[in-house]
Amino acid sequence: MPTSANSNHPSRPEDLIGRLNSAHTPYEAKLKALRDLKNQIIGNRTKKLVFLKLGAVPSVVSILSSAAAPQDGGGGNREFHESVLIQSAAAIGSFACGLDEGVKAVLDAGAFPLLMSLISHLNEKVVDAGARSLKLIYQSKLAPKYDFLQVKNMEFLLSLLNSKNEKVTSLGASIITHSCQTAAEQQALSGAGVIKRLVCLLGGSINQKDASLESLAAMVKGNPEVASKFMGPENGRALGVVIELMKDKYPRTRLLASMCLISIRNTSTSYLQDLGIKSALVLVLLELLDDPGQVGDEAPFVLSGLVTEKEDMQKIAFDANVINKFCEHLTAGSFQTKRLQGIFLALSDLCSKLECCRDRLLDLQVLNIVTEALAHDSAEVRAAACIFFKNVSRSVKNLSAGQFMNEAIAVPLVQLLCDSRTSVQYLSSLFWIFRYGYAIEHYNAVTIYLAVGISRLMKNEVAALGAISNVVVNFMARKSVFMECGGVKQLVQLTKSMESAIRVNAVWALKNLVFHLSNRCKEEILLELTSTTLVSLINDPEASVQEQALGLIRNLVDGTLNSIDCVFGEDGELLHAIGRKMRRSTSKVEVQIQGMYALSNVASGNELHKEAVMNQLLPQAVDDKETLLVKFLQSSDSRLRTATLWAIINLTYPSSPNTCHRVNKLWNAGIVSQLKNMVNDPCLDVKLRAWTAVGQLMMYGDAST
Amino acid sequence: MPVRLVEASSPSQVSGTTHGNTLPQPCSLLSVGQAFSGTQNVSSLQKDEAWRVNVRIQGCDLDHGYLCGTMEALNVPMADTPVVTFWEGEIVDTKNYTFFTGKWGATVEDDIKHWTKFPSFPPLLSQVEADGGKSLDLSNYPYIFMRWKEQYFVNVGTDCGLTIAGFYYVCFSCSDGSINGFYYDPNSSPFQKLELKSTNDGRSGFSFSTYELQ
Repeated sequence: MPTSANSNHPSRPEDLIGRLNSAHTPYEAKLKALRDLKNQIIGNRTKKLVFLKLGAVPSVVSILSSAAAPQDGGGGNREFHESVLIQSAAAIGSFACGLDEGVKAVLDAGAFPLLMSLISHLNEKVVDAGARSLKLIYQSKLAPKYDFLQVKNMEFLLSLLNSKNEKVTSLGASIITHSCQTAAEQQALSGAGVIKRLVCLLGGSINQKDASLESLAAMVKGNPEVASKFMGPENGRALGVVIELMKDKYPRTRLLASMCLISIRNTSTSYLQDLGIKSALVLVLLELLDDPGQVGDEAPFVLSGLVTEKEDMQKIAFDANVINKFCEHLTAGSFQTKRLQGIFLALSDLCSKLECCRDRLLDLQVLNIVTEALAHDSAEVRAAACIFFKNVSRSVKNLSAGQFMNEAIAVPLVQLLCDSRTSVQYLSSLFWIFRYGYAIEHYNAVTIYLAVGISRLMKNEVAALGAISNVVVNFMARKSVFMECGGVKQLVQLTKSMESAIRVNAVWALKNLVFHLSNRCKEEILLELTSTTLVSLINDPEASVQEQALGLIRNLVDGTLNSIDCVFGEDGELLHAIGRKMRRSTSKVEVQIQGMYALSNVASGNELHKEAVMNQLLPQAVDDKETLLVKFLQSSDSRLRTATLWAIINLTYPSSPNTCHRVNKLWNAGIVSQLKNMVNDPCLDVKLRAWTAVGQLMMYGDAST
Repeated sequence: MPVRLVEASSPSQVSGTTHGNTLPQPCSLLSVGQAFSGTQNVSSLQKDEAWRVNVRIQGCDLDHGYLCGTMEALNVPMADTPVVTFWEGEIVDTKNYTFFTGKWGATVEDDIKHWTKFPSFPPLLSQVEADGGKSLDLSNYPYIFMRWKEQYFVNVGTDCGLTIAGFYYVCFSCSDGSINGFYYDPNSSPFQKLELKSTNDGRSGFSFSTYELQ
């Protein structure tokens, strides 16, 4: 690289910008300034940000624009202009490289169409510079979406893929990777013969291989038709080539080959199901974990994609000692944030279904590292740590042993709820202020950023609630550590969130917390929650919230006899609310099941309790319409039939003083004949309960029916 | 961790039904939170003794044939307080587990001898002798067979003078929730009997609590 005379003293940014902008600067000096700028910012994020702030990008783009305009004369002048094109394109590419602020600045300054025009330039070096910079832009989510469905665009893309220039073909593939999202787009690309061209590129340079692997994965993802086309005879040994690339000497190529195969595997269960390939994928990714760079950071995420929701893959990974390897990495030392997030997520996936994996993980004693991460600076790491806890605490054996219920874990979890609640509230307020208080031109950008921020915070909040829902399950009937850390207040506040996802998870956590809890603790929770809130949760617009609320009540009234009175107090408002919910024809079956169990549990109490439930299920004014009880007994869902039968069994439990009276009412409501129809129910549980209920009713039977 | 038996690639089936239709169906009385109480007879040649026992179900994963809970033994002579242990159960569902134990020192003969002591077992005997019961259709059978193995002491040390080296052969009645079991430990008196009934916590009826892990 030719060095300028002043290379030992890089120009001050302000001076450089000045020279670029000034109309008085001679062209040669401008070219030198461009080179200088480019050299300063390459690989230097801090410098890029400094120059961005000073408005360097519009200046450079303006220079590119003038140089790209049709020029007079040829010869030396043309060569000079081409150098300017090359350097300005390179500088723009550098600003965009790995920096979203840079990409935004470059796009806002109108660089995109200018760079595109360079692709058809006669000078290969200019084409290279343009293609390289465009590729860097396309690595960002902020790049403009390419519309493949327009014929003109498809033709242009094909011309890129068919080019003899390596950087241009790579650019074509990058555009596919970035923008190919819908099935229609995948079909269109496949129909245009893109797969065949990409398969050829698998035999090209490193860049072409890598770009092609990524774009093939994007084309195949979730699309069995395109996947089978890829595997089809017209593409020859394409699959074999990709499998071979898992052994390529470059780590990034090995990673991308694995990703491509995983994409195919996850799309269609017809392919890549033999043990050999499954084990090979695990081993390649395990080995890539040792890479100290970006490849090592991404490997855990790719492994997650391989094993998520797939018990067989989790078992293969377990047998290959993947968990041990990940834990060795964790204990080896501190990490770059992305890698830590990836390891936590991969471990979470690995222990999502199999007890042997959770056991191994807990044996390796990394819990303290993950616990610390609950207070990490990065929100993504905190969320990943929460997901880790949620999955590993699916081990009932370890929940029972109290592994997860200690202050070290409870305190940061409660803190996460406090923090995100405050942040979500703060951001929500800002959102509404901007929505109503500011000029319309500010609305879009600001509220979009806020909405994204709120959405990300909510995801983190849901992750924290997921972990809490599990770790609060308390089998020992002693006071919960979570309660002692002030967790109940936070959960109760969240049951009033505007977001249904938060409400559902908060009520779910309360339901689990209350399972098998002492009466004293239940009272404490009720005091904080209040009956009024419970009633509004039963009537929440979302069925999932109603279901959890009724499950919570079911647990509150379980246990010793006096727990029922704690919940229902004197006015019976809650019981009425449950009865009303059951009587509504629009209630979902899951809501009905929980409601019936809540009522059934109450009906296992004393006479007053049984009468109160009876009044809800068989109100005094019975009209010709089918009673609730009969309707539920005829449900196609065996769980609802079972829950209803338990309610009847409890209402007619022998040796209760007023059972006779209730039995008569049930006979009169036609329940007995309905029950007799159920003694051969296909569901064993239903059949057995129907027998019991019939037996009890016949014991007091009204012979006249 | 007990080893899971992997199903053979083409199991022989009674009446050609798929595995999905032959497993024991869920039973409300054998679900989380349910409690049972009764006795374990620990008689030996020297004396007759019975401990009061309370059992509570804590976890239930039917897909994997898994159950777990606690067992509390009261009036244990060597202990000042009730002794609580945590146990894990294998449900004989012909998919995850068969009637053959295959571990814990129990031979096939031991298995047959113990299962036969349950009145509900004889109808299944011939099939079990043939292949451990792999091809049985248990979906409508009103009894659930299990093995319960205590894993650790919850509230006492291992030096309390009690052993959890053996395991229980268990038969659960789906209709009334009663549980019968026989303790097997090559080093203890044979056929110590466990007899439990579903308890109501002082209620006039049955109450069901729930939790769901995310």
